Amino acid sequence: MNIFNQTFQKNISAAKMFVFFSQLMDKPVFDSEGRDVGEIYDIVVKPSQVYPLSHGLIIRKGFPNRKYALVDWQDIERLDKNEARLKIDKSRINFGEIHDEKKELTLRRDILDQQVVDTHNHKVIRVNDIQLLTVEQALMIAHVDIGTRGLFRRLGFEKSIDLIVKLFNPKARYLSDERLISWKYIQPLTINPASMTIKIDVPQKNLANIPAADLGDIFLDLNVNHQIALFKSLNLANKTKIFTNIDFKTQRSILNEMNDLELSELLNNIPSDEATDFLEKLPREKTKHILSLIENKYSKRLSQLLGYSGDSAGGLMTTEYIAFTKETTVQEALSQIRELKFKSEPAQFIYIIDETYHLISATNFRRLILATPQETILNSAFPKTYFVHLDSSVKEVAYLMEKYKYFAIPVVNEENVLQGIITVDDILSQLVAFAWRRLKKIKIIQKA
Amino acid sequence: MKNLKSFWAKTLIFLSVMGPGIITANVDNDAGGITTYSAAGAHFGYALIWSFIPIIIALVIIQEMCSRMAVVTGKGLADLIREEFGVRVTFYAMTVLVFSNIFNTISEFAGIAASAELFGISKYLLVPVCALFVWWLIVKGTYKSVEKVFLVACLFYVCYIVSGFLSKPDWKTVASSSISPSFHFDKAYIFMLIGVVGTTIAPWMQFYQQSSVVEKGIRIENYKYSRLDVIIGAFVVNIIAIFIVIVCANTLFVHGIRIETAKDAALALKPLAGQYCFYLFAFGLLNASVFSACILPLSTAYSVCEGMGWEIGVNRTFKEAPQFYSLYTAIIAIGAAIILIPGVKLVPIMLVSQATNGILLPFVLIFMLLLVNNKRLMGKYTNSKFYNFCTISIILIMIILSLILFFTALIQ
Repeated sequence: MNIFNQTFQKNISAAKMFVFFSQLMDKPVFDSEGRDVGEIYDIVVKPSQVYPLSHGLIIRKGFPNRKYALVDWQDIERLDKNEARLKIDKSRINFGEIHDEKKELTLRRDILDQQVVDTHNHKVIRVNDIQLLTVEQALMIAHVDIGTRGLFRRLGFEKSIDLIVKLFNPKARYLSDERLISWKYIQPLTINPASMTIKIDVPQKNLANIPAADLGDIFLDLNVNHQIALFKSLNLANKTKIFTNIDFKTQRSILNEMNDLELSELLNNIPSDEATDFLEKLPREKTKHILSLIENKYSKRLSQLLGYSGDSAGGLMTTEYIAFTKETTVQEALSQIRELKFKSEPAQFIYIIDETYHLISATNFRRLILATPQETILNSAFPKTYFVHLDSSVKEVAYLMEKYKYFAIPVVNEENVLQGIITVDDILSQLVAFAWRRLKKIKIIQKA
Repeated sequence: MKNLKSFWAKTLIFLSVMGPGIITANVDNDAGGITTYSAAGAHFGYALIWSFIPIIIALVIIQEMCSRMAVVTGKGLADLIREEFGVRVTFYAMTVLVFSNIFNTISEFAGIAASAELFGISKYLLVPVCALFVWWLIVKGTYKSVEKVFLVACLFYVCYIVSGFLSKPDWKTVASSSISPSFHFDKAYIFMLIGVVGTTIAPWMQFYQQSSVVEKGIRIENYKYSRLDVIIGAFVVNIIAIFIVIVCANTLFVHGIRIETAKDAALALKPLAGQYCFYLFAFGLLNASVFSACILPLSTAYSVCEGMGWEIGVNRTFKEAPQFYSLYTAIIAIGAAIILIPGVKLVPIMLVSQATNGILLPFVLIFMLLLVNNKRLMGKYTNSKFYNFCTISIILIMIILSLILFFTALIQ
């Protein structure tokens, strides 16, 4: 990934093909006869391509009673840093009170000075300027500028500051280091007023490539309205990914914006340990309501899990595990594993049980793969399997897992019936919270 | 039984929402505020108490709009100004804000130095210690822990109320003079009135309050509690101000003692109202100064980073939010260092801070009015016509007052 360095180092004066949006803003517009029409206000772009192309020009005139008009890009003769000249006559332009291009993306309203998501560096950033590339007759969004120099350019200080810096240090990093980020990594956050969602370009799918924990962090940097709109715009897989990686407060505010259908869809897809973590913090009536929405079998399992205390083995465990009866052959087991679908990634253990779910033994993928396909899985089992009870404490669980180097440990009830498993990541997050007291701080350190 | 249960539920929600309004309002009673109120009490007795009632109304109306914008848009005021009015306006507004808040911070450290002298401690010891404490609190704390410390600081303002009772005022006169406005056409009186009203609404307050409501993540259905927070804040802060006026009116005014600073007031109280009253007054000054010296640099760094699009830090490390921490540290360092210069003159600093506040306030209020009435941002939560009428009249009065303050500061 590092080959695609997002901060391109370019000398702007050499690249005449590039123009900054700030250099076009407020420049005069003339009609075909050279008469004054108004000034450049905004540019409408077509968002369908990876790099959107200019589609229309919004002209502004008058002060303090401002009027706006939209001109098609085809009607523009030329447009540069000094002025814009139209192909059409002044009389053919209709000025109106507002300029709301609801469906389209416009540079000034939706991108410039707004917050966007940088899907490459996994951050929420504010756009200082937009770099456009001249392609035949149109302009294409190439980069967004988030650097200090972009800020000074907007303020009209670029040249004087450049001069001062050159005076002190002609080789200063400030002069060559442009903080430009390619548009293909930029996800705008404009909320569509009708659907209250954010348009996400499907071909890019950049949001989907961000690791779940980072996506959660990006999410926490957004304001409430953007959080809700972005969440609604995601597909189910990404929704699940985000939901399990944000704090409870944000989870709740999202929950309030969802209808019952969306809610049941989401909760059915969240692993049971994450779901119980979330549900046990809600008021009892709300939990009841949500459980009533979920598939019957799953909700029974969840309400059972909710009965255990949060820091006991029962409260920590997930009910997703792989288990086969002792008569199953290795071959059968392997072919069944290939077909299984899981909400979360189960640890690499396979449990061996009898018909009534009593835990007999355990094996792992490596042992299974090395075993002869025809023999029963019991032959490849570990000589002894350790387990914990539903009411075992976190400390006990951690101690056993460390001692026997388990990635997951089975949980059984008094009759030795398998109830679920505790995976190492759940124990780790408990221990980390225990050691540092504040999990939040850890997240911050990781980000640095 | 059910009523009682829902009452507790509501109280719990309020407690979780409470904070931004009360804290912002209380910082208003900072070193400068205490000086103004003491002088008002010492020079005019109870004659200015009535003005606190319109001040409460103005404070509630202005701060309520900030709270509402924060809850509806989820963005800070600097964020909104940047997004709606562009980078140039934001940059100049932020430059003036930084400038004015540096001077405000200096006057807070002056308050710390003054209380050091009252307690007989060297200011060369207390000022650096307080500066370090203030810096450490934000750099090492999280938003939640910092807010708790601030709320505790708000509690300490009670000492002014206690000292008010210790001075044994005549409550009948206090009550009657707070209801019936008595206006004197006397230059000194009018200046004092402007001073009292003018220090009430400062530009940093709107930025700070809106950001901290956003930071708390208050949802629209709990907005009514957030409004209650603003109202309680406005009342508490003005009741404390009234008690400061009462203490000074009841002791200094009666004996015809004239004062220039809060330190003078405390010293003059000692023989008249006793040892305890003196210590309470001095402690109140120290608490208020330290508290405001925390919030002012914090609020400045917060607003500037919001507007310029830099990372904001209460919950981040120095490496992640370098601009935030540099700005925060620099303001505290400058504020503390200037006070430690031997023989530094405080009056010009106060005047510059008043003047810069006066330049910025009209712009901030007008931006707020435009933003809060923007349908695209606020949806159905824009101001009603009546509310707009009230807001515009308050804004006009505030602009005129701050302009008068600004020009008198210039002339002097």
